Amino acid sequence: MTFKEPTKQKVDVGDGAAIPTKSDRGLFTAWRFAFVGAIGALAYLAWSKPDPYLEIIRFVPDGIAVTFKVTVGAILLALVFGLITGLGRISSNRFFNGLASLYVEVIRGIPLLVQIFYIYYALGRFVKIPDLFSAIIAMAVCYGAYMGEVFRAGIQSIPKGQMEAALSLGMTREQAMGHVILPQAFKVVLPPVGNEFIALLKDSSLVSILAVADLLRRGREYASESFTYFETYTVIALIYLIITLFFSKLIGIMEERINEER
Amino acid sequence: MKSAERRVMVQARDVVKFYGRFKALDQVSLTIHEGEKIVIIGPSGSGKSTLLRSINRLEEIDGGSMVVNGMDLYSPKTDLTRVREEVGMVFQAFNLFPHKTVLENITLAQTVVRRRSREEAREKALGLLSKVGLSDKANAYPGRLSGGQQQRVAIARSLAMDPKIMLFDEPTSALDPEMIGEVLDVMKELAREGMTMAVVTHEMGFAREVADRVVFMDHGAVVEEEVPEQFFTSPKHPRARQFLSQIL
Repeated sequence: MTFKEPTKQKVDVGDGAAIPTKSDRGLFTAWRFAFVGAIGALAYLAWSKPDPYLEIIRFVPDGIAVTFKVTVGAILLALVFGLITGLGRISSNRFFNGLASLYVEVIRGIPLLVQIFYIYYALGRFVKIPDLFSAIIAMAVCYGAYMGEVFRAGIQSIPKGQMEAALSLGMTREQAMGHVILPQAFKVVLPPVGNEFIALLKDSSLVSILAVADLLRRGREYASESFTYFETYTVIALIYLIITLFFSKLIGIMEERINEER
Repeated sequence: MKSAERRVMVQARDVVKFYGRFKALDQVSLTIHEGEKIVIIGPSGSGKSTLLRSINRLEEIDGGSMVVNGMDLYSPKTDLTRVREEVGMVFQAFNLFPHKTVLENITLAQTVVRRRSREEAREKALGLLSKVGLSDKANAYPGRLSGGQQQRVAIARSLAMDPKIMLFDEPTSALDPEMIGEVLDVMKELAREGMTMAVVTHEMGFAREVADRVVFMDHGAVVEEEVPEQFFTSPKHPRARQFLSQIL
């Protein structure tokens, strides 16, 4: 009887920016070209036409901070929602499982922009919380569903024998989950979570539709006063590009480190 | 055999198990006494592993009863984890925890389940590692070890719980031939020390040498139960004869 070592499968969920890896040379150079090009273009514009480019660049950083607050806040909350949802999706408890599945199905079936409006105004109806928090919660509720699928796939990618070994040693299911399964699953889900982070960073621009002064909204404010729409959105697009490229690289490096550790 | 006076460790009665419509176990009864070593053999798909795995309820049975260490596995009063901590299990695929070092693999359940202190667990682990001949691998990760070494660590991990019975589910089937011996040696040593053991294996030499009883299964049923001497020289059942002629 032959036995094949189960291969660690990569969980590929998410539609974020492509994360370059060492083996992917083409992508790597494309990354470098885009990153250096975007910074160069921004610098050149600011230097050659300070009015309006330099002024735009001075005006929007407040928005970058807000974009980061929304993104980081939402991803942290989405991780919590996602973990609970993922555990629910694999739970044998019918109620918990059904609830998690319902959450995922409902969220996946509604456009993000509609959800943001809905949650924002629904929350506003019952509780008075700052706009920034409503925006974060709205983003997190949406991304939590996607993250739930990432966690579910990550947990299910761990070979069945791991749970069996832990149970046979007398651990409870919960202990086995906490000590054996999840620590391994976290490593598996890191790349897709990274992708979700970048996707969320980009989607966070949707909150500009609410009264949240993120990067895009700051740009809109500037443009509508100065009527420099083309110039402003050029700068905004370049800043988004630089930020997402930077993070996709960072996540790529983190992923490589973890793979080496294994 | 003075097994009648000895404590009963495993009492399986008329166990039935279905996988969908396939009957994996068909009214299987089996008694294992304290200190006894039984070896379960049979063609693949005969239900050997299923029977073994139902002893610690990794496999749910659909009929009959299973009493282990005096506890009915299917009584609502039974805390399954209390049963399992007394029942060690070694898997074909080793199933070591890849994110933990060898030492951590062996100390984890001791601290989490047995609530031993870190030092106590560590001491126990190091003692067992030297017993299986792997003292120098305490801080290695399982991925760095050969299959034979991994399986010896897995045995040490189970033994750390001070089990009353050890279940071995084809422990050498995934190993390269040159590593089978080192694992069987550890198991023989364990047998000499008086451990109660139930072993599913294709290693007939091991069965002959170690087993008090050979249990031959076919089509989900126990077809013959016999002392090895008798079984290997003159098996009664035609299916057993056929099986032995194929593998020996």
